[in-house]
Amino acid sequence: MSKTRSLLVASAASMVLAGSAMAQVSDDTIVVGLSADITTFEPAAISSRDNANIVRHIFDTLFSIEGDGSVVPDLATDLAISDDGLAYVYTLEAGRTCHDGEALTAEDVAYSFNRAKDPANAFTGNTPGFVFSSVGFVDAVALDDLTVQINIAAPNPIAFGLLAEVYVHCMDSYAAMTLEQAATTPIGSGSYRLVSWTPGSEVVLEKVADPGTFQNIVYRIIPEASTRSAELMAGNVDIITNVAPDQVDAINASGVAAVQSVQGTRRMYVGFNLSEPFAAMPGGDAIQDPDVRRALQYAIDVPTICAQLLNFPCERATGIVNPPNANQALTPYPYDPAMAEQLLDAAGWPRLDDGNRFTIRFQAGKGRYLNDENVVLAIAQYLSDVGLNIELDVMEWGSVYVPLIRQRNVGPLFFLGSGGALWSPLYDMTDLAKVDSGTNYTHWSDPRWFDRWADIAAANTPEEQRVIIDEMLQVFYDDGPWLHLYFQPDFYGVSGRLNWTARPDEKVYLFNATLN
Amino acid sequence: MWTFVVRRLLQSVIVILGVTLISFISLQMGGDPTFLFVSERASAEEIEMIRRALGFDRPLHIQYLTYLWNIVQGDFGNSLSYRQPAMNIVLGALPATIELTLFSMFFAISLAIPFGVFAAIYRGTALDGSIMTMAMFGQSIPSFWMGIMMILFFGLYLQWFPISGQVPFLMPLFQGDFATAFRNLPSSIYHLIMPAVAVGFYSLSRNARLVRSSMLEVLGQDFVRTARSKGISERAVVVNHALRNAWLPVVTMIGLEFGFLLGGVVVIETVFSWPGIGRLVFNAINQRDIPVVQASVIVLSVIFIALNLIVDLIYARIDPRVKL
Repeated sequence: MSKTRSLLVASAASMVLAGSAMAQVSDDTIVVGLSADITTFEPAAISSRDNANIVRHIFDTLFSIEGDGSVVPDLATDLAISDDGLAYVYTLEAGRTCHDGEALTAEDVAYSFNRAKDPANAFTGNTPGFVFSSVGFVDAVALDDLTVQINIAAPNPIAFGLLAEVYVHCMDSYAAMTLEQAATTPIGSGSYRLVSWTPGSEVVLEKVADPGTFQNIVYRIIPEASTRSAELMAGNVDIITNVAPDQVDAINASGVAAVQSVQGTRRMYVGFNLSEPFAAMPGGDAIQDPDVRRALQYAIDVPTICAQLLNFPCERATGIVNPPNANQALTPYPYDPAMAEQLLDAAGWPRLDDGNRFTIRFQAGKGRYLNDENVVLAIAQYLSDVGLNIELDVMEWGSVYVPLIRQRNVGPLFFLGSGGALWSPLYDMTDLAKVDSGTNYTHWSDPRWFDRWADIAAANTPEEQRVIIDEMLQVFYDDGPWLHLYFQPDFYGVSGRLNWTARPDEKVYLFNATLN
Repeated sequence: MWTFVVRRLLQSVIVILGVTLISFISLQMGGDPTFLFVSERASAEEIEMIRRALGFDRPLHIQYLTYLWNIVQGDFGNSLSYRQPAMNIVLGALPATIELTLFSMFFAISLAIPFGVFAAIYRGTALDGSIMTMAMFGQSIPSFWMGIMMILFFGLYLQWFPISGQVPFLMPLFQGDFATAFRNLPSSIYHLIMPAVAVGFYSLSRNARLVRSSMLEVLGQDFVRTARSKGISERAVVVNHALRNAWLPVVTMIGLEFGFLLGGVVVIETVFSWPGIGRLVFNAINQRDIPVVQASVIVLSVIFIALNLIVDLIYARIDPRVKL
């Protein structure tokens, strides 16, 4: 055989061997395929769910919230809340250390919180931007080695759950690092530590402590949905997130993996912008009338949208709160276009000679939610069927739609989703905690809702609170600013070799995953 | 020649300035990017604090001039998403795209030239028809569709090739880790095959047609007839005389194509999970990570300008009629 031919054969053989080796996932390793790149390991800069799912294995929190909404201790063993509701005093578990061996004490917890808030760092992650803004975080103080006090500006019924999202790290290591170093060199106290990070490609973690079954966790960044599915079916990954609805059947038929579909906690809705400027727009005056908003509830066939466009059977939402915590007396609005037409006629908006009742703009972003563009098209058609002349405006999500949303300058109709939770109805309701809340995109101001927050704060027992919550949710159901849709389902592809159950809150935690 | 090179370098400074200005203006047209970096529950004070911290509170012309002044001093700013030097992020992604582009160009050119030559020599035959049909399909089929089909057939069904991902060769090589680079080489090539074919198939098709047209034109020239009449073998006529003249337009096309591919393989990088600069820039634009976009634009512009200069120099070298 000539030299050239020998070289070619040897090269081909080595490539095949390389390929064969790559395809096998060992029993001590679990591989997860993620849809989006991660950008940082700085705990105070984490903002995306994929990023948070990885980082949660590296950093501990004071308490943990389970998939069913229950709360379990993590770094802290006990919590005492002051009578005025402004001080949260945590007692830490003794003997905890960070990955570099430094003992984790109350001083480190206080440092973690205060560092995240420091304006000099200009962090924009979930901790400073969402948690601290929501609870009115003031500061954190170490009372002794194992006791730390978190101070907030005003009593907040969901502060406990929000504070449980803050990642804790040791002080010495982070005080010695620059912000750039902290973004690539996480030092936590969690079950896993970072071994390597190849941006845009993969993250590798290795186990350093319990809990955790697998010695290694590999996260592979696979942005394209069909490629993720192919990797799952080829046995190269164990779990994939964001399975496209049209690929569910193929994965289930593969025999090597199956799709777990869960009703998530993200509330999808069409919002009615009720602000004054939008009342002057075409259709904006019509939706000011609660009777019109109620009429439109009957115009949308939400179960069909779920079945046909999301490949998931869903029950329509009755309001702003996730089902386990919703007002159980409320039933979903049925799809009844005849009723919608009747109510619109009664509200003073009959069909005109051109067949339309009024014209109204409907805005949406695309590429953010599950099959969002088709869902929006379907909703627009349903509304058209009952006589609305819809001017549909679907725009790019990040650069165009988000700024409009954040400035509360979108509508009069707009499509949006809002993350929720299962551990408290109040978490879901605080999207509308105040009329001028940044998340009150509808500018709704019904006092029957907003005035009751003071009553909730004043309630002495959970049962008293529950009565008030149900009354508020009744108002939201009858005359609220949302056209109720569904809770976005999440689809996870899971290898047949793995025993793992998906959570409804988009958190992908692998501590309890095992081999079958 | 040196006068030409110096003149082109001076022109390139103006080009790069223009490119940075256009990209800056384009990114600003989407409105205030601050909202992408703050939580939906951020108060007005917090939004303003972040706006100041990120420098978005300054007038646009001040932002741009400050940026220019900084890059003159070698400071390309920090990525707003990664919180690391933007240029480091960009240069970290560049080797992967260079690997993909070089391999796809190698695939395309090594086949385009013989395909084009044979199609021209055997014009009107079944071979010519087959090659041109392939070329037509190659220019019609979207690369992302081809990529997905290759994944499903060769990656999933036959399991001949890895479905996605990259094993780096150039990055460890640039970092001086030669042992790792050459240890990775077989696996690196193995992972490159499918994405490179998906990227290069269009180029192969276009260049095959270009070579064919160019060859047909040259083969009809008097000097080729003269060469044949002197008794030179047909192989020598084609290779030494005709092809040498026919591939002049191809040289130009290859140089331009390399530059386009560097920034234009974002779709294939996404399909094959290739951590290259195309995907990086696409994500940075979506996230309004302005420093990364600007740094990418500068890097790609410099490469494109350098390639054009090299192509012009090569062209002058191989075509004595061209004077710089």
